[in-house]
Amino acid sequence: MTNLRKYSRGVSIIGVGCTPFMDTLGNLETAGLTEGELFGYAALEAMEDAGLEASDVEYYYHGQAIPSVQSHYITHNMQIANWFGMKGKASSSHSEACCTGYVALEQAVQAVAAGTYDIVLSGCCDMSEARAIPDKPAHMRTRFTQEEFADVLPMMYSRDYTRTSLAANALVCDSWMQLYARENNLTDQQIDDTLNAMAISCRRAAALNPLAFMGRSYKEEAEEAGFSTEMDYLRSPFNPKVTEYLRLSSFEQKCDGAAAVIVCPTELAYKYTDHPIEVLGVGHACLEGGTANLEKHATAEAYRQVKELTGLGGSDMDLFLANDFLLCSHLLAAEECEYLPKGEGWKYAAEGRTAFDGDKPINTNGGRCHFGHAHGSSGLADLYEAVKQMRGEMGPTQLKKTPETAMLRGFGGGQNVTCTILKTL
Amino acid sequence: MDKTKYERIVKTFYDYLEEGKVMGRKCTRCGAVEFPPYLACNTCGCPKTEWEEISGEAEVTGFRMESLMHSEEDIKELHGDYCYATVKLKEGAELNTVVVGVTAAMKDELMEKIPFPVKPYIAQRDGYKAVFWQLDE
Repeated sequence: MTNLRKYSRGVSIIGVGCTPFMDTLGNLETAGLTEGELFGYAALEAMEDAGLEASDVEYYYHGQAIPSVQSHYITHNMQIANWFGMKGKASSSHSEACCTGYVALEQAVQAVAAGTYDIVLSGCCDMSEARAIPDKPAHMRTRFTQEEFADVLPMMYSRDYTRTSLAANALVCDSWMQLYARENNLTDQQIDDTLNAMAISCRRAAALNPLAFMGRSYKEEAEEAGFSTEMDYLRSPFNPKVTEYLRLSSFEQKCDGAAAVIVCPTELAYKYTDHPIEVLGVGHACLEGGTANLEKHATAEAYRQVKELTGLGGSDMDLFLANDFLLCSHLLAAEECEYLPKGEGWKYAAEGRTAFDGDKPINTNGGRCHFGHAHGSSGLADLYEAVKQMRGEMGPTQLKKTPETAMLRGFGGGQNVTCTILKTL
Repeated sequence: MDKTKYERIVKTFYDYLEEGKVMGRKCTRCGAVEFPPYLACNTCGCPKTEWEEISGEAEVTGFRMESLMHSEEDIKELHGDYCYATVKLKEGAELNTVVVGVTAAMKDELMEKIPFPVKPYIAQRDGYKAVFWQLDE
């Protein structure tokens, strides 16, 4: 058991950037974009947001979930440096599957808290729909198919024992939801209706977000398909169940995208921005894929760490974001982190109270199933959403009450779990 | 450096399966059993563990059937119907694994019985044996 200690000095976010989450190959205007360009656009946006240029940034991190397959790189930090003016600067790369973007923030914060650097950029880029073609220029890309992606997934699991047990990936989809259903005496119909309501809330937010992958609301899709309500549409064969509980609308939308953040010592933050946001702490726990209900246990531990460090819990938060490449994950994590009351969260979700215009907002960008999932980049896209919400800059999806606190629960199929608390200075 | 001091834990585990034994590693300090086996104890951090055959007593704490997204055709062909399950051993570990002998028709009845007992089932795979579980009636 790890007990976190306070940072040696406070660290605040002063700039964020995020590209649209998109299918680059599916659009003539974006086909041929490269990882260097996408990372560069997100990084340069973060610099502009902070009022900085590359010469001010002392170190950067590059996170990517699947660099060897998507980019045909093993040193991905090196291959993007020249694209945003950081040639010759120190950098390093990291990869924690779908948790990469959340770890990206933790690493930057630790580098500044340690006192080694004052200005650190952390970015992530994954092109999960447009993979590299080895030995061809970077703009020549091909579809990263679902079949190829399925072949990559076992790489998240240990070849010692977990892969031969076969069950890790299948159980991560449903086991926590099943446990929750049993604990709360929920029927399959109640679970289905709750997940469909969550999908409607998330899609409604995504359809209003210009950066999101899914641009149409379910209301529009339902009308086009001849259904009178969104719920009828989501219960229909247009939205089949692909696991015991999860329908297509409860699964990630794989896409391409990049995002970046810049942090500095809190004592310097007002030099760069009039709206800094402090990172109060990052809880972090990991359980390998053979462990039963690993997401639940690691979420509980990461949350315990950050709660004990900060004295703040989920009930103190104005906004909750969770990596939900399986849609049920955001409901379950929100209860585990005490953002929603134990055993009652499903009612909040079913009644739409977790939508961006509800009283307990969750995943106000639409989450992984509707904003999109550019794997390693998604955590920083959530951070972008949290920061913009906390500044009051989210336009049509801006929360009724501008949040002053936010919690981000990172989770990777590669089994890292983080719990981060942000607070407006 | 004496190379013989580096015991091959993974290889030995699979070698034991060939003999029909399912083995874990017991901590020499706190007595916790690591299953599957590792070098050090994940309960107290003690660096020393030693081989111990597991009792074979275990129970299913949750399970799900195969689905559109997840199915194992080779398991079905060689070992029959199965489910994915979380299994808790008497020794303490709780694992993601496969339980053979579970049909879709049994689902509702078994769901009511959680936790229900299972025992190890050593399954032949392509060039090695693996540990699955089977109902312990």
